[in-house]
Amino acid sequence: CLIHFYKRKMRVLALLFLAPLFLGACLAQKRVLVLLENVAVKETHSLYFSMLQRNGFTLTYKVADDPSITLKKYGEHIYDNIIVFAPTVEEFGGSLSAEAMMDFVDNGGNLLVTAGSVTGDVLREIASESGFEVDEDGTYVIDHHNFDTKDGGYHTRVISDAQNMVKSDLIVGTGKLPLLYEGTGLLTDPSNPLVMDILTGSSTAYTHNPSLPIKEYPHTVGKATVMIAGLQARNNARIVFSGSLEFFSDEFFQAEVDTGNGKLVPSGNFELAEALSLWCFKERGVLRVDGIQHSRVGEGSAPEFYTIREMVQFYIDVKEKVNGEWVPFKPTDMQLEFVRIDPFVRSTMHVAKSELIGTTFKIPDVYGVYQFKVNYQRLGLTRISTSTQVSVRPLRHNQYERFIVSAYPYYASAFSMMFGVFVFAFVFLYHSDETKKKTE
Amino acid sequence: MSTSSVKTVVNKFLDEYTNNTPKKLKIIDAYLTYIFITGVIQFVYCCLVGTFPFNAFLSGFISCVASFILGVCLRLQVNPANKSEFSGISPERGFADFIFAHVILHLIVVNFLG
Repeated sequence: CLIHFYKRKMRVLALLFLAPLFLGACLAQKRVLVLLENVAVKETHSLYFSMLQRNGFTLTYKVADDPSITLKKYGEHIYDNIIVFAPTVEEFGGSLSAEAMMDFVDNGGNLLVTAGSVTGDVLREIASESGFEVDEDGTYVIDHHNFDTKDGGYHTRVISDAQNMVKSDLIVGTGKLPLLYEGTGLLTDPSNPLVMDILTGSSTAYTHNPSLPIKEYPHTVGKATVMIAGLQARNNARIVFSGSLEFFSDEFFQAEVDTGNGKLVPSGNFELAEALSLWCFKERGVLRVDGIQHSRVGEGSAPEFYTIREMVQFYIDVKEKVNGEWVPFKPTDMQLEFVRIDPFVRSTMHVAKSELIGTTFKIPDVYGVYQFKVNYQRLGLTRISTSTQVSVRPLRHNQYERFIVSAYPYYASAFSMMFGVFVFAFVFLYHSDETKKKTE
Repeated sequence: MSTSSVKTVVNKFLDEYTNNTPKKLKIIDAYLTYIFITGVIQFVYCCLVGTFPFNAFLSGFISCVASFILGVCLRLQVNPANKSEFSGISPERGFADFIFAHVILHLIVVNFLG
């Protein structure tokens, strides 16, 4: 009786110990570390944080210079995403530094950082490692034509139209409302292929210190005034860098934008913040390849090798993360390349059997070692790059064409030679000289 | 003047040939002209139609060329006027070599014909 009691207790205890492991696996992608400027930020940005929690993220709040901050435990990162809402922090607490942040990104972690008119050195360092530059301390984005009339007269509370956003629904959602912004401007290098300008000012915006006279050309002008910039690294980690902390504040989410012509329109900040956070933390615009199949047309499994001029079929299973579930991704412009150093065949894939996309093509008349390559890079989506190697052999000696019609004369001549030799041999051996008969 | 001399040379050559060559050699010459004509026909056909099954063309053409060469060699060996150069090798031996070479030639030709 006692044994039964203890056995049951052990089972319950075991379940209790295992349960957090399962929970941990489910929440694997959603652990967020939030670094705050001060504890008050948690209250002034409560709508943003509650939106994140509604979307399933677990938030750990810490003040930015808290000495107890660690990113790694036993060599593994304990967070998947980091939010930095601390523009003026000069140095992070604990073991955190710009280098530790970039190491976090190199291991696949995502970052959402806000700067401000006064930006600390460590954030400037993170920005420059990510490919953007934050403007000098004291500068604001100023726009004398698109400002919110509720600001202090400096025209630093700027309105940006929805059309100044990057053209990708996956990154910025489908909102059309104007956006309210108060903060510094960022500079991005247009030749950097990984960086995108998520939100820019309108053509009349520029960045400068509002209380100083303008003596030189501002660092950013017009549409090059980047307010929110983004980077998708080569390992698909995402960084979103905003020049304004107030953009995410409750005040701006609930504000009504007064463009000066009398009409009051609600700001689109909340929709953009939600879409941006979901994109940045890899809940939207994420693809993965589940499998690749290739075979001769009509067969089911991949052969050991192919022969030149054979028909091949290739299928790839690509899934996209939508609302937390992996659903089949059906693009119309994904291409397959059949490459032996240079691509010999490039074929656009179409939706084929049961949610796979694939294509059929003829192997070229050249033998060698080829690769099936799929490279798919689109704005807002993670990159797909797969490569499968196959060998293509030349024809065996008994696979060539036989009895070609245009070669019949040659066949005829070869056999006629043989026949000729045969007849000649008989004639040559058995002819008799008739000279003796003539003389007689 | 020169045309008439060429004519006389050709006529003299033809007379000498018809009267003084043994019948055996004439048989070989007839065989050789047959091979030559077949070869020419093949070559003209290839020039017109193109070289698509090139191995078939080569096989047929080289069959003709090699047969011609073997025929010429046989004629040299069998000609009684050359007896001094082939001392120790009888004409029958020459004919046997001819047949042996032809067997090998035709084996190769059929293999390459594709």
